[in-house]
Amino acid sequence: MRVLLAEDDLTSRIMLQSVLSKWGYEVTSVSDGEEAWNVLQGTNAPPLVVLDWMMPGIDGLTLCRKLRAQDRADPLYILLLTSKGEPDDIVRGLEAGADDYVAKPCDNEELRARIGAGERVLQLLAEVARRQKLQGVLEMAGAVCHELNQPLHIVAGYSELLVADLDDNDPRAETLRVIKAQVDRIGELTRRIMCITNYRTKGYLGGCRAIVDIREASQTLNEGANA
Amino acid sequence: MNNSRILVVDDEALICEMMKWAFTNAGYDVQTAESAEKALELIKTYKYMVFFLDLNLPGMNGIELCRIIRKDNPLTVAYAVTGYASTFEVFDCREAGFEDYFTKPVELKTLFQAAEQAFQKLARWKRDE
Repeated sequence: MRVLLAEDDLTSRIMLQSVLSKWGYEVTSVSDGEEAWNVLQGTNAPPLVVLDWMMPGIDGLTLCRKLRAQDRADPLYILLLTSKGEPDDIVRGLEAGADDYVAKPCDNEELRARIGAGERVLQLLAEVARRQKLQGVLEMAGAVCHELNQPLHIVAGYSELLVADLDDNDPRAETLRVIKAQVDRIGELTRRIMCITNYRTKGYLGGCRAIVDIREASQTLNEGANA
Repeated sequence: MNNSRILVVDDEALICEMMKWAFTNAGYDVQTAESAEKALELIKTYKYMVFFLDLNLPGMNGIELCRIIRKDNPLTVAYAVTGYASTFEVFDCREAGFEDYFTKPVELKTLFQAAEQAFQKLARWKRDE
């Protein structure tokens, strides 16, 4: 997981960066609040932030407030590092938008455990978001299938009845067979939509938009095993 | 003719009309109802052997309707015809007494085959009585 470390004190920063890397995190480190803000405005910003309270420029508390005031697409977990250990300070930090805090000087084991807890919260939020998206897709799929399959059934049925009434050599029979084949094609698509079991997207219009990948999202167990 | 009477229940009038045309063409005596309540009214007057029931009906749904039909008339065969397969559980369908289910759009010849098999089965049951 990617972590942003914002700490103005060089020694602390190097030490923290070193332990975070050792624990397997991909660390971006900055030395003030302004830089941290800029990193977090970029695309693909780290989801976990270890933020020192006391920094020149924008301090940790102000940065928390600014970040929480944003309408961010992805969740952000903020761990505040503070030498302000009084209960009032902790309350101020959490109310400003920090998710957790670690008192300085940091105990490495405590820091590791708290960052691990943050990682679990982020994983949980990602899972909730994934389920909500799937739920939305399934509800939409249900509505689309139901609304499309009713008229499809009528068109397919009448096409079949009309073909049965016409001589095989009648050119209209061939036209009706084309209509029927196209209806069957849409029918196959709605059957696939009904088999959607997971949330998968693919790029559309050169990748600038994502659309639900019906084939991948509706992969049946057999197809999955063969893939 | 009463031995080959079919009841189609679907809340869409056009589907009822199309199915009536189709089964009449295929030589069956078919009637239609656009709700479970209307179907239950018809059942009081007429005897049907085979049923094609839409599941998503206003008021009483197709599963409840099937349960009532099968309870009162065990020597019948009911098929579910649904627009959206995932809105119901296959278990519920079987438990309600459906012989099988089809997802719209379904080819008429598939429904004719199902009707034929149903009448053959009912004829066997009657012989064994």
